[in-house]
Order: sequence, then structure tokens, then C-alpha cells
Amino acid sequence: MITQLITIAIGILSWSINAMYRNRPVPEYDTDYISFLVVGLVIGNLVMPISQALERHLNPWSLEAIIMTGIPVPIFVVGRIAWPYIFSVITFIPQIAVGILLFGVKLRINWFSTFLSFIISATILLGLSMISTGFRLVTKSTDPMTWTINVLQQLLAGISFPVQFLDSFIPGISMISWFLPQTWVYHLWRLSMLKAASIFDPATQLDFLKGAIFGVLLLPIGYKTFKWSLDRVRKDGTLGWF
Amino acid sequence: MTKVTIETIDLVKRYPISLRSIAGGRHWECWGRVGGFREIFMRKKGFIQALNKVSLKVYRGEVFGLLGPNGAGKTTFIKILCTLVLPDGGEAYINGYNVVKQPGKVLRNLQAVLGEQHRGFEWRLSLKNNLEFYATLYGLSKRYAKKRIEELLELMGLKDRANDMYQRLSTGMARKLQLCRALLLDTPILLFDEPTAGLDPTAATDFRQLLRRLAKSEGKTIFISTHNMWEAQSICDRVAIINKGEIIACDTPENLRRCVSSEKHYRLILDGESNGKLKKVVDEFEGLNGVKDVSLEFDSQTKIIVKTDENFKILDMVNLIAKYSLNVRDIETYEPSLEEIFIKLVKR
Repeated sequence: MITQLITIAIGILSWSINAMYRNRPVPEYDTDYISFLVVGLVIGNLVMPISQALERHLNPWSLEAIIMTGIPVPIFVVGRIAWPYIFSVITFIPQIAVGILLFGVKLRINWFSTFLSFIISATILLGLSMISTGFRLVTKSTDPMTWTINVLQQLLAGISFPVQFLDSFIPGISMISWFLPQTWVYHLWRLSMLKAASIFDPATQLDFLKGAIFGVLLLPIGYKTFKWSLDRVRKDGTLGWF
Repeated sequence: MTKVTIETIDLVKRYPISLRSIAGGRHWECWGRVGGFREIFMRKKGFIQALNKVSLKVYRGEVFGLLGPNGAGKTTFIKILCTLVLPDGGEAYINGYNVVKQPGKVLRNLQAVLGEQHRGFEWRLSLKNNLEFYATLYGLSKRYAKKRIEELLELMGLKDRANDMYQRLSTGMARKLQLCRALLLDTPILLFDEPTAGLDPTAATDFRQLLRRLAKSEGKTIFISTHNMWEAQSICDRVAIINKGEIIACDTPENLRRCVSSEKHYRLILDGESNGKLKKVVDEFEGLNGVKDVSLEFDSQTKIIVKTDENFKILDMVNLIAKYSLNVRDIETYEPSLEEIFIKLVKR
């Protein structure tokens, strides 16, 4: 009940800020607002299927049967996430096409940076998904990690307005955004697709490096968390509980 | 010498009782009411002793049954062998592989059919697609998987339903598909938790025959946990009885019967004997060596029930029948069933 109220409140806050931002140019990415928004929403569609796929396929309902096949669980996790992610990237193209044809979205793409963004964001999302699944295995309900990140993402990750705009309400609050891994997913894709940012450009090089650090940190943390959770539930005898 | 395929040595399992386990996944609702993070996630409230130094050996080609009342530790035992639960003490080996240290090798040697039949299946995929999914996870080649899936669907009588969506299956059919999944990998050891639960009588009989055939002609080790005493008595070479986490008996059903009770009952069904003659016969029966009790039953027929022990000689009974020229139409014998043995042992 409390979490539902917080989710609703953050949602309203996010869309209110979004409404206030409307029709302004977006100098952070050298683009207009409609291009910024459409690309952001399409990236959102890229992010969500990953956590949904893991939640659907790796739950206490099916985990016992999967473990019994002898397949290493991390391989199963990667296998299950890989296809939804690739599928999301494929559907990304027609969605962008609709944005260009119907809403006049302007893209300036650096293909190499886009590919790098794809790799970095996949690593970040895989790590987050494993942490989230690990929590859910132990707690048997929505994990606090996913909930917190999803709720904060709505407001702070820059889905529908640049994170810097938050500073006009509370100065310095955008600092928090840069500690959210999803902010880097949106930021790197937008840099690559709206600004044609090159990783060889010193102005954006550091951004890619910071995003990559998130990926490099989150992947092993996710793996360790998941493995710890699996051992924990096997010890408690609650693997099949839900 | 027959090879040991399943071996456990002093296997111990204790489940912690915490607020988390008591809350059963609804612990967020307990938050604040019963305590904070420490109370809900960290503090232990004691233990449930699920297994206490369980040592068992099961041999190749044997059908072995584990019998026990609810909560005796049967499922915990099977889940430890399947690597799904980690033991707190002791050791368990599957074909020589340690279940804790070599889970990968263990799972190449055994498959199991556990409790709920719907678990792990995709409801919107066909039966065939579900089995293909698991064949991929098992790492089977496409050609072999196709052949094996067809064989198994045929064997379980599901061939006509192969392309139906899983959600259209009845409980019994879902159970059969679960069995197909367990047989996909063709492992030397198969574990079953209540193998025929949910199957109709014909399918259950066919399945029991299949288990016997797998054990006797293919040399597979079949380990079943069951409440069904008749099933255990009819298909198991040996049974172990577990109660409160301890093995209280382990032998062939025949030997268990002998150990627990040497009592044998004879029921003599008579045609038209007078009450006076019957009274004398009963008195003489009571005087025979090894007779513990004699009683008369009168319903549509007259019956003499003779309860004997191991000292009783059947010739004495025959001589007595001849002496009184009793008009005996039939003699029925009765030995205690595995169910009675089970109840006696558990109540000891």
C-alpha cells in the first residue's frame, strides 16, 4: 500500500515536471524536445523487457526444474536475457522510424558509439537483473532493489526530461541521477543517437568510461548476489517457495 | 558385487525457523508489526530437524521405496539428492559423485519427478515444444531429442496431444509430461516423489510396470517416496521407513513383515456345523502349540479364526479338522500388510 502510494506520487511528479519542460530545446544533446522524448521512450522499451524476461523465466515456479537440467544458472540467465534484449533492439528500429516519419525526430547517429552503448547498457541491465532476481529468490516478493531503482528511474534517470532540469527545483539534485545505472543507459544511447558523440571525443569520452565502470562493477556484483541468494535458498530449503 | 548408486552417510538437515519463513513471503506486511530488518531477516527462532543422521545405500537395478508420514523428511531427502537443498551435515553420493561438491556430475546421473506437476512448464507452449525446450537445456542434439521426445510421448500415450498447448492438459496428463521430462536425459538413476499421484488406475499400473522394466531390463535405479503402501509393496525390492527424520527400518517388504510380526491368521470357512461341535473344536484349537487366539464368526457363513505365532504347525490344524470331520469349504490365510507394519513401526 505504502509502496503503491509512493509509486503513484513519483509518477505524478515526474509527468508534472515533464509537462513543465515541454517545448523547450534540449541543449544537453543539441536537439529538440520531441526527438529527446521519443528516443527516451524507445530506450525505455529497450530496458523494460530485460527485467520482465528474467522475472518471467527465473522464478521459484520454474527454478527447480531448470536447476535439475544441470545447466549453470548464470548461463541460463544470460541466455534468457539475450534474446529479449536483441529483440528489443530490433523493435527499436521501427519505433524510431515511426518517430522520424510521424513526429519529425532528428537523429545524428555515431554507429560505433551506439554499438558501445548497446554493450554497456546490456552489461548494466544484466547486473541489475541478477541482483533483483537474487533478492526476489530470498524474499519471495517484489525486491526493494528493483522497486527503488524503478521508482527513482521514473523521476531521476532522465526518461522524459534531461536530468539537469531537476536542478531548477532543488539545486544539485541531478547529482543523485548520475548514481543511478539507468541514467547512464539513457544518457549513452542519447549521446550516440542524438549528438553523434564519438568515444574518441574528449568531451564525451569520460561519459562512456563512467557508464562502462557501472557495467564492470554491476556484472560481478549481480553474479555474486545471485549465486549467494541461490545458495541461501538451497540452505533454507525455500528454493521452490513463492 | 552390485554397484551402490545412491549412498548417504549420516545425512543431517535442519531448517531454520525465522520470522521470514513463518511469514512465508508476506514478511513486508509484518514489517514494523513484529520487528524490523533484524527480526525478520536475521534472527533465528530455532530449527526443525528434517533429517537426523540418515544413512542409506541403494543398488543398481533396484526399486527402492522411502515410506513415511507427512513431514517425516522424505521430500527433503530427495531434494538433497537432486542438489536442490544443501545438507547441514553428512554426505550424499550419486554414482560416487558428491551432491554438494559435484552437482553438475550428479545431475548428469539422475533425474527426478517432484511434487507439483505443473512446475517449470510453459503454459502457452505445446507439449512437444516444452520437451524441446528442456532437451535444449539438457544439451541433447536436435536429432536425438526429436527421436526421444516422440518415443516418450508414445510411451506415455500423449502422442495425439503432442501439439496441444500445455494449459489444455488434465492433471494426469501433466503428470505424464513431467515423467517424459524426467526420462528425456536417460539417466541411470530416477527419483520419484509420489510417482503415480494424479494418474488414472490404468496409467498408474502401466507406469509401475514401466518402473519395474526400467530397473530390471535397463538396470536403472528407481527411488520412490510414497504414501501408497500397496504401491511400495508391489514394486519395491526394498523399502525404508522414515519418521521424524530418522530411518527406523530398511529391508525387503517380506523381511520387514517378519521382523515386526510373526503372527499369521487362518480363517476356516465351514458349511453347516452344529454349535456344540464347534465349541469342542475351538477348545481343542486353543490347546494347540503356537495358537494365540481362536474365535468364531457367524455371518452368512460360519468361520473359525485362528491367530498363530511362529511355533504353530499347520499339520496340527489339519489333524484336528480330520478328527472332527469338519466340513471345511475354504481356508484363507492372512499376513499383516506393509501398511500395518508401517503404522506399528511409526507408533513405536
